[in-house]
Amino acid sequence: MLDMRQVTKVYRTELVETHALRSLDLHVKDGEFVAVTGPSGSGKTTFLNIAGLLETFTGGTFTLDGENVQGLDDNARSRLRNQKIGFIFQSFNLIPDLNLFDNVDVPLRYRGMPANERRLRIEDALGLVGLGSRMKHFPAELSGGQQQRAAIARALAGSPRLLLADEPTGNLDSQMARSVLELLEDINQQGTTIVMVTHDPELAARAQRNVHIVDGMATDLSVEPSLARVPQAARDTTTASNA
Amino acid sequence: MDIRPILSTLQRHKTAAALIVVEIALSCAIICNALFLIGNRIERIGMVSGLTDNALVRVQITGIGEDENADALTRTDLAALRALPGVVGATVTNQLPFVNSSWNTSVNLTPDQDRPTANFAMYMGDDSLLPTLGLTLVQGRNFNPDEIIEWAALDAPNAELAPSGAILTRKAADKLFPGQDAIGKSFYLGDGDATRVIGVVANLVRPNLRAGPAENEFSMILPVRVPYSLGGNYLLRTDPARRDEVLAAAKKTLQALGPNRIVLEDNSKSLQALREDYFQADRSMVWLLVAVCIALLVVTALGIVGLASFWVQQRTKQIGVRRALGATRGQILRYFQTENFILATIGIAAGMLLAYGINQLLMARYELPRLPLSYLPIGAVALWLLGQLAVFGPARRAAAVPPAVATRSV
Amino acid sequence: MSGNGMFGYYANLALRSFRRNRVLTALMVLAIALGIGASMTTLTVFHVLSGDPIPQKSAQLFYPQLDPRSTNGMEPGEDPPGQLTRFDAEALLREARGDRQTMTTGGSVSVEPERAGVSPMLVDARYATADIFPMFEVPFLYGTGWPAAADASRERVAVIAKSLNDKVFGGGNSVGKSLQIDRHAFRIVGVIDDWLPVPKFYDMNSDRFGDPEQVLLPFSTSRDLKMGRNGSMDCWGNNDSEDPEGETGVNAPCTWIQYWVQLDTPAKAAEYRRYLENYSAQQKAAGRFERPSNVEMHDVMGWLDFNEVVPGDVRLQVWLALGFLLVCLVNTVGLLLAKFLRRSAEIGVRRALGASRRAIFAQCLVEAGAIGMAGGILGLGLALLGLWAVRQQPASYAKLAELDPWMLLATFALALLASLLAGILPAWRAMQITPAIQLKTQ
Repeated sequence: MLDMRQVTKVYRTELVETHALRSLDLHVKDGEFVAVTGPSGSGKTTFLNIAGLLETFTGGTFTLDGENVQGLDDNARSRLRNQKIGFIFQSFNLIPDLNLFDNVDVPLRYRGMPANERRLRIEDALGLVGLGSRMKHFPAELSGGQQQRAAIARALAGSPRLLLADEPTGNLDSQMARSVLELLEDINQQGTTIVMVTHDPELAARAQRNVHIVDGMATDLSVEPSLARVPQAARDTTTASNA
Repeated sequence: MDIRPILSTLQRHKTAAALIVVEIALSCAIICNALFLIGNRIERIGMVSGLTDNALVRVQITGIGEDENADALTRTDLAALRALPGVVGATVTNQLPFVNSSWNTSVNLTPDQDRPTANFAMYMGDDSLLPTLGLTLVQGRNFNPDEIIEWAALDAPNAELAPSGAILTRKAADKLFPGQDAIGKSFYLGDGDATRVIGVVANLVRPNLRAGPAENEFSMILPVRVPYSLGGNYLLRTDPARRDEVLAAAKKTLQALGPNRIVLEDNSKSLQALREDYFQADRSMVWLLVAVCIALLVVTALGIVGLASFWVQQRTKQIGVRRALGATRGQILRYFQTENFILATIGIAAGMLLAYGINQLLMARYELPRLPLSYLPIGAVALWLLGQLAVFGPARRAAAVPPAVATRSV
Repeated sequence: MSGNGMFGYYANLALRSFRRNRVLTALMVLAIALGIGASMTTLTVFHVLSGDPIPQKSAQLFYPQLDPRSTNGMEPGEDPPGQLTRFDAEALLREARGDRQTMTTGGSVSVEPERAGVSPMLVDARYATADIFPMFEVPFLYGTGWPAAADASRERVAVIAKSLNDKVFGGGNSVGKSLQIDRHAFRIVGVIDDWLPVPKFYDMNSDRFGDPEQVLLPFSTSRDLKMGRNGSMDCWGNNDSEDPEGETGVNAPCTWIQYWVQLDTPAKAAEYRRYLENYSAQQKAAGRFERPSNVEMHDVMGWLDFNEVVPGDVRLQVWLALGFLLVCLVNTVGLLLAKFLRRSAEIGVRRALGASRRAIFAQCLVEAGAIGMAGGILGLGLALLGLWAVRQQPASYAKLAELDPWMLLATFALALLASLLAGILPAWRAMQITPAIQLKTQ
């Protein structure tokens, strides 16, 4: 799904040259759930931006879902981003002026989808995250956990191949965080590849695989599958919350 | 206050800063020129006519068909008008200031000249003209009754008659005889004999002002007794409070004396009213210019408020950090006011140059004089004050940002 | 990706944004409205005053000019006088080299109606020859102009305007009736319907935006009866002759006649010009013209241009209003910039969710255009108010200051164009907002 080979990113200003990424090698297979960890300033944010086609990179190759993204212009990258990637941000980033329905609608609009199809997808996505009854509510009227779930619905509405999450539970209390994470796991089980950036080791432990980025380079830290995955049965009993 | 950090901050927000500067520059340029135009027009509206404006009333009449007894009727008219209660003096003349028709003629210093020396407005009247109009003699004397010639004699075919004397305005006398005493000197109105200058009046504006301010007072008075049929201007001198009364009485009297005549109601009014009509366009222009200046100031103020508020919002975190590091509210306030002052200064400097540029264009196309330097400080001060007033609100809001903002991360 | 669907979406987003920032939006709309209102008021007045008074024929009507003056006072490169002498006008009329021609000048006559209760009045008159009516396509309510024979025989016939007809005869067909003009009985041959050429192109020496004259009668008759002149007369040299007519005599060295000739094709116009040059040369050879040949011939619009028919004040006001509009636009650019950049977070999110830069640009332009349209509507109201204020002025052109359909369209076009132009810089800046940087709060 995501194939980065020797990717470098250099920021140049008039006086200073910063190497955010040095020869980063990272491969994510279709359907994997990968956590990317690392100290602040390590380059994991830059990695996420590049992975999400939000930024260009200076050197190396990057193939996304079989497509080489080198040299794609801004329009092509926007299109690819719109169709293949879903974003989940730490600070939710819902548009405050719009209600949930319209927020989830935003990426679908840029795809030029007809109104009927959009409505179906929005209703499905919000239903999936348990917010079907709050379609006309505004973000300010919801709790943090609800907002994040709405953001996930927005990310999912377009049936992306890859979900990129940046500290998805960073602004949530532990109860809400747990329910969001369970939601992510569900999504992964249904086949969506997830790459999650976090500095929380507990969160990282829930993923199938860990990648550690330090000083712009990646180190793969495999996690024992037994530790990463809580048994299905046991997990079901803890999803009674409706944060 | 150290302005270097202010300048470097502005450099990073070049677009918004440039917009404020451009807006101030344009406003300054337009306002400076507008104020100048206003001053110009007001000066024009207030020009000295030479006559006692508020004491004069004009009745214009015309004959139905040709009148062979025009001269006699004119004499009867004047006698009757002078006898009316409230009338201090009455005269008849061919033209007067502030109307749309005029008589002008070329004036030469020698009998045979290639180019005329000057072109003067030609007022004609007898010895009652000066006292009735209230013209002020500064040199020489009024006409003597034996110097007056009849219009019929002057106008007759092949007449080579020329008036023996004439009264000039000061400006006209200066034009013909610069720096000299004009009394006694001669000039030529045509091929006939010379005409001597026997008197000089202080001011008498000409009816046609299209030759420009320098020639506004190129007028002369010739001792010619005209009948009412030549222009039909009866001028009566009275007390300002009795003008309406005198006007009504005069109209009635003239209609009664000559039933085959039409009193032109629209043109028969006080000289003051004629004057106001004449300058109506100038007055409208002044109002328009004032309105535009005010609107311009309002719009510029709104623009400054808008952009300043935006900057305050953008830099909220920065302001909080400064406060956390020890800046007082007053220092934050002064920061924004200084920033605005710098932008206004740059804008005003550019605006002054632009004002001169615009003035050059106006000078070429619309015959305006050059913008005097004294107008520039007015425009500058106005915009400085405006800027400071406009930025005060947003600056106060900036000063109110609590230091705690520095530590918040969302 | 683009098209009506997205336009509707952007319009919807724009409206929401307006509702959320009512005050700021109102200020922006007001700023544009003021600029548009001022500009459209002055532009409409200018448009009215600079229009073609006779569009169907303005390229076929010409105004010849000759220079009969003495060398006394001659300046090099001077324009020929704006009128002809009576001698030249009558000569050109006699030789009749154009498709149609007329000589005309303004006058002033007294009219004594026989109607009870209507007192004698002084009216503006026009002395002309028969061709003037077909040449200027004067519309008749009753009757027609006089025939060419009437000019030759100095007949006492007159054509009057509808307003005079109403006042003197109470309206109705007055053809054949008699009217006392300057104490002589004239026979009415025609009544002119509503006619208002703007400007009154045929005589630049009278009120250029005033009403046409109320009485028209043959020039020859006016000389016969020594009727009063109304216009401008320029004399030079000496009037040596013993002509009892004095300065209005045939041989007087005075210009006071307007002459118009109709030339249907450009070829004919060129030919007539050559004829004028010949005539001028002949007059010089005969000793009448002293100056070197100085012949001019403008068509209607050229003549209006040459005379600078639009008053300087009106032109100045147009520039003033446009300058004001420019300041309003710069203002709008700033406020739009602030508005869009305030929403950088939202724009960054939209970009991250797949909006291309062009999509953001389009969204911002739609918002700018919406403000422009709102400003245009309000500006239209202000322009109507402004034109009402102009109509209250005592100037003769004041009552003509009205908005026509073209100017209405122009108001919206100007508002839209201005706002889109103002929106380009802010929209461009908005579209530069990178998706990456806005994700994490600063």
